[in-house]
Parts: sequence; structure tokens; C-alpha cells
Amino acid sequence: MIDQIKTIYIAGIGIISPLGYGADATERTLRENRSAIAPLDPKTFSTQQSPPLPVGQITDLPYSPLPRTHRLTLAAAKEAMNGYSCVPDAVIIGTTTGGILTTEELLIKKEKDARKYRHHGLTTVAEELADAVNCTGPALTVSTACSSGSVAISMALKMLRTGVAEWVLAGGADSLCRLTYFGFHSLQLVDPRGSRPLDTDRAGISVAEAAGLLLLSTIKPENPLGQILGCGLSCDAYHPASPHPEGKGAFQAMRAAINDAGSNTRAIHYINLHGTGTPGNDLAEAKAIRSLFANPPPLSSSKGATGHSLAASGAIEAVISTICMQKGFLPANTGCTEPDPELNLKPILQPEDQPVAAALSNSFGFGGNNACLLIGKANTPPSPNPVTQRGPFTILGKACITGAGHTKESMERFSKLESIAGTLGLESISEQLPVRKIRRLKRFSRIALALAEAAKEDSGRKQSPDSVFLGSGWGALSDTYDFLNKLQNSNEKFPSPIDFVGSVHNSAAGHIAILHGATGANITCSGGDHSFEQALMAADNFLTDPADSAFVLAADEAHEHFSPLFDPSIEANTPLADGGAGFYLTRKVIPGKPVVELMFYQKMVDDTLDKLIKTLGKDSLQKECHMIFTGIPAGDANSGEVQLDDFMKQTELDIPVIHYRKFTGEFAAASSVAAVMATFLLEEDIVEAGKNILVLGFGKNLTAMKFSKQ
Amino acid sequence: MDELIKNLKVQLIEILNLSDVTLEDFDENAQLVGGDLGIDSIDVLEIVVMVEKEYGVVINNKEIAEKVFTSLASLAEFIVQSSPTSSS
Repeated sequence: MIDQIKTIYIAGIGIISPLGYGADATERTLRENRSAIAPLDPKTFSTQQSPPLPVGQITDLPYSPLPRTHRLTLAAAKEAMNGYSCVPDAVIIGTTTGGILTTEELLIKKEKDARKYRHHGLTTVAEELADAVNCTGPALTVSTACSSGSVAISMALKMLRTGVAEWVLAGGADSLCRLTYFGFHSLQLVDPRGSRPLDTDRAGISVAEAAGLLLLSTIKPENPLGQILGCGLSCDAYHPASPHPEGKGAFQAMRAAINDAGSNTRAIHYINLHGTGTPGNDLAEAKAIRSLFANPPPLSSSKGATGHSLAASGAIEAVISTICMQKGFLPANTGCTEPDPELNLKPILQPEDQPVAAALSNSFGFGGNNACLLIGKANTPPSPNPVTQRGPFTILGKACITGAGHTKESMERFSKLESIAGTLGLESISEQLPVRKIRRLKRFSRIALALAEAAKEDSGRKQSPDSVFLGSGWGALSDTYDFLNKLQNSNEKFPSPIDFVGSVHNSAAGHIAILHGATGANITCSGGDHSFEQALMAADNFLTDPADSAFVLAADEAHEHFSPLFDPSIEANTPLADGGAGFYLTRKVIPGKPVVELMFYQKMVDDTLDKLIKTLGKDSLQKECHMIFTGIPAGDANSGEVQLDDFMKQTELDIPVIHYRKFTGEFAAASSVAAVMATFLLEEDIVEAGKNILVLGFGKNLTAMKFSKQ
Repeated sequence: MDELIKNLKVQLIEILNLSDVTLEDFDENAQLVGGDLGIDSIDVLEIVVMVEKEYGVVINNKEIAEKVFTSLASLAEFIVQSSPTSSS
């Protein structure tokens, strides 16, 4: 469906990277073709390793009590928002590290005070950013490994096109930390001489840190810096940590970005490569480029200069591409002296002054997660772009896992109003999964995989959906704990490669893609207690065609050491609970089937409740709402109860209200289980025709999902 | 050597969580990587870590690794030849 023209302007850019603070310093270093990769500075973090590995680090980062990723993000935001007094309608951050560096240091000190871990969660980066720019709209987090920053910008593009937002601040940030430093080292992916992408003698990456943000708007600013013309996402569905050897997913993502922009390969003047410097990655990307471009345009990787800043990389490279277009120069492929003939590419070896009208920026990550952005000059003529259809999803299949068991056992117990809280045994979770294919997976990934499998089975469909959207408050806690524990217990000598790959937030969604051959968009969101709602919002933005379908899931695992430290709703004596839910959703309208729609997602401030009631409509609520499932996390009990009371008073509703966490127990993905409860009641025809069930989330954010029948 | 092969089988079954494989099933002469067991590059790196930790033998060269990981028997052979505690 193509019927609108909406220009997405780049109004502001912010960058902090090993190349320097800000766009001007970045441009200077790029023009010097200088690598900023250097041995790890003990001021960043101490290590027993000698000599330390080369990394891309930011020196003299001003101190603040916030973790390093948060500080980098705020520094980039300050520059991106410079000269603007507008308040973004949403902020979207791609990050994989969150507050882990601080967490690592606290764990080494054996710190038991949970308050000190309050910035561990990925979502806290977006929350801090939202607070800094006074944004009360959705503060969203995507964690798709090394494509996170580009996926965040892609999501912003979709939100702007639909008109749900006029200003979005989006990008990516990651700090150096032990997890990634030793993790990539354990995979033997670090070049001891420093990263030299595309070189014949290349031997890997240099782990780095950075933050890049773009202020994007549909309103033309006085001096626009460029435009985001299109985005393309894909998943290799091939291997957890290696790209498809022929670059199949990379090819799909590049082609999708060009199509999304209504452009063609001849219009691309420059490609900023993913170009990590590992032999396999560079070769796969080269094959993809040679398949797509008869004559590839000038191209270079920035990672020989910056190192690989993981979730930040796509965002800082989007900023670099914008600078190059603005200033009319092409940056060199720093570090490459002799291009590998097997790649059959001609990387730019010295910076060149040359006008650039459109640049393609590639980002590919673990889990086969690919994202490409097409960035154009500010004066690029508008071209029609696809409408993002929003609205309800038809529920084809549902599944949940709780302490009571799988869907059937959970709903039987819930029907008797009995608790379903607890932690299901790993064997029961895994009973429908292929043993060999899940042998490396720990609790979180197995829950997510089992949910996808069961949702598909419940749908009765033979065909799996193309896309996967997974929400998780805390991700793979067991893998992260085991990695850090083995690292510390072996005096940093024996970090586990398997645990590192498993610890990556999007590892579970990547495995779902592999098992189901899902090569479409694959996005893992992390929004604390609202992670399922974030996954649903991501699906709402990316499923554009009536024929599109997706798994939308949320899962969290309970971990005896980490859960009480990280989750403010879990205290030392709180019984552990976990699980989640998965849905097989389609845009197709099927009469008689239940539907779900995300109605509202805003930060809780003074007038948010009024906005929610206005969105839902007091009259509609009174006429159509059959019952409410409400989620008030224990950590927000006081404020949440007041918000619920106010809501009931103002709407004058006299209907059943079920506090679902009293049944599910305390865990971040609990709202997804409430979504299954609501669907179950609709399917059992317990709800009168024409009536709906609301699942409301209270606390830091106010969220509303509506379940009804078509 | 038989004892070492048996120990390696036990260790690989544990670290790679090959829960459905018994010692008898595990053919030390069969193709180790990319074979029936589904062992891939990530598993190989986990074995590299284990071999260094348990036997003090470092495998950090791609060419050597390709030969060493042909089969479990070739891995055992390499450990015997390279072990700092070997009689040679």
C-alpha cells in the first residue's frame, strides 16, 4: 500500500565516540584517517589481563553517578537537541550493555544493596534520556545486538511515518564492559593488532564504546541536516553468532531499505559498511553487496577508526553518514592497507572530497539481526513511502508458561482463581523442544522458544510467521550470571563463549527465527514491567501489510541471585516467579477471532491518567468494558494503587478488576500472561458480544491493551 | 589414552550439554565438528577453553585447530603430545 508522502528530517545529530566529542571532532578525526583504537585504559575498568586488548574507548568522560552507557547517551543527546526547545514525542534507544559495567563492579565488591543496582536494566537508559529531554511519551529500548542503533532509528522512522509522533530522539549507546570485552575475546573475534576491516590480514574486531543520537521530525526544521529515506530489517535465521556465509540476510536488508525509500541502487553514492574486521563478517557483507550492486559505489567501514561500539555502531555510523553528506566527503576505510582480493571490493583508502546525495548504512548483529538505513541529503525530493498500518492484531494462537505449567494447566488454575505463580521446571519448559537444538540454551531462551512453539501449535497453522517481536525486562540472567561468575572465578582466564553468546539479549529471538525460518524483522525490546507492551508496539510499527504475521512474545526468567538485586518488585524474601506468553498474530481480519490492540503507552506524570481516559473514552469504557486486568508491580505498589483508584473513580466503572500479579507472581513479563488470560476469557465466550477486556499497566508508565472479538 | 578419551567424552557431554548422548554412543573416531552431534564453532571455542583449563594445552591457531578437532581421538592425541605434564 503506497499512498502518502512523508519526509523524515534529521533535525539534529549527537555523537560521542573514540573519534571525539561531537560532530566537529568526529569530522576532524575522519579527515585525518586516524584510528582511535588503543589498549584498554585501566581507568575505564581494571583487568588482570596483560597486555590489555586494543579497544575503542572514550577518555575523560565527565563523572556522574549514572552508569557509563547512560552518561554517553546523555552526552550525545545534549548535542542532538542543541538549538531545539521541542520535546520529543518518543525516545528510542538501542543498547545491549545498559548498566552492566556498574553491575560488574558491584558484583566484584559483593555488594548486596539492591538500590545500587537500580540502573542495571536496559530500560533505564531510555528512561534517563526521556527525563533529560522532558519526554513523557514512550521511552523504548531495542536490543538486537550490533544492529540495535539502526533498529532504533528504523522504529523512529516508522513511528514518524504513521503520524503517532512528530519528533523522535533515537539512536544507540553502549559502554565498554567486562562482559563484551572478554566475551568477544572468548570467541576469538578480537584482533590483537586492532581492527583492520577489509584488509587481507584482518583478524577481528576491537570492542568499543560510543553513543549516537538523531533528532528526527516530520516537521521541516530551519536547517535540516538530512533525511532518513528508508530502512530495511531482516534476520538470517541461520546461526546465533555467525552471519549467513553468502550474506543472504544482509542482501535482504539492504534491498528492503532501498525499496522502502522508493529508491534504486544507482542512487546510492556511498555505503558505510558494517565492516567489523572479522574474516567471516566482511566476506558475507562483500558477497551481499556484490549480489545487489552491479557496480558498488564508494564504500568504507568506520570500525577501523572507532572500533566496534556494538549497539551504538549503527547510530554513530548514521551520524557519520549524515556528516559526510553535509560536508561532501567520503571517509576512508581506516586500518585497511591492502584490501582483501577475495572480497572484490574497493574500499576508500584515503578520505576524498566528493558530494554524497544518498548513503546506505549497514548494521548486522548476533542472532542474524540485520538493519540497513538509507540516508539522504536534506533536499532529496520526496518519494511515496509505504503506509504503516496500525490497529488491532488478530490472535491466531496463544500460549503461556507460568509456575502452574503450560497454557492448559495455567488457565485451569486461573479459572479456579488459584495462584499460578512459581517457576516451572526446566524439563517441563523444554518438553516440546528439539533436544539437540536447545542444548546450549538456558532458562530464558527455553521459555521464549517454548512459547513460540506452543503459540504456533495453538494457531493450527503449518506456516510459521516471518517476524519475531520479543519483550523481556531482564533477558538472559542465567547466562549473564554464569559468564561473569566463571570469569571472576578463573581470574579472567576462562570466560565461556557459550555463556557469552547466550547472554546477548536477542539470543532467544534469534533462536526462534532459526527454528521457524523467520527471516523478517526480529526485534527484542526491553521495557522493564512494560516489555510485552513494547514488543507489541514494535510489531504495530513494523507489520505494514494485511498479510503480515508475527510472533509477539514476552518472557523473563527468575534468578535466585540476580532477580532480587535487579527487579525492584522482588525482595530477598519474595517467592520467585517467572514465565511469559507468546502470541501468533496477524493483521488479517478474521471474524469471530479475538483481537488485541495497544491503546496507550505513556510515562506516568500529572495528566497521563486524563490522557488515558480520553484515549479510551469514558462512554466507551462504561458501555463496552467487561472487566479489567491490572498490573501494579510490587515496586510501584503505593503509586500504582492510587493511580488505579483514580482511574476507577474518574471513569465511574463498576466492573471486576483483577490484580493479575496476585496470580502470576512478580516478574517483568507478567502482563503477557494477563494478555493470555484475557484472550482465554474471550475464547471461552465468557465475555458478552461487543464487550472488551482491558489489561492496564500502572506504575512508572501507564499502558493499556484492549482485547475484544471481531 | 583410553582413559583420556573417556574423560574427554564425559567433559564434552557436560560442557556442551549433550544430554542425549551416552559414552557408548560417542564415537571418538567420528567427525567431531559438523557431524551428527551438531557441534559447531561456538562449541569448539568452549572446548578450547576447557582443554586449556583442564589440561593446560592452548589451541589458538586456526590451522592447528582444524586438524585437532577432526575427531575426539585427534583431540586426545594433540593433548597427549602438547601436555606440559606429558612424559616427553
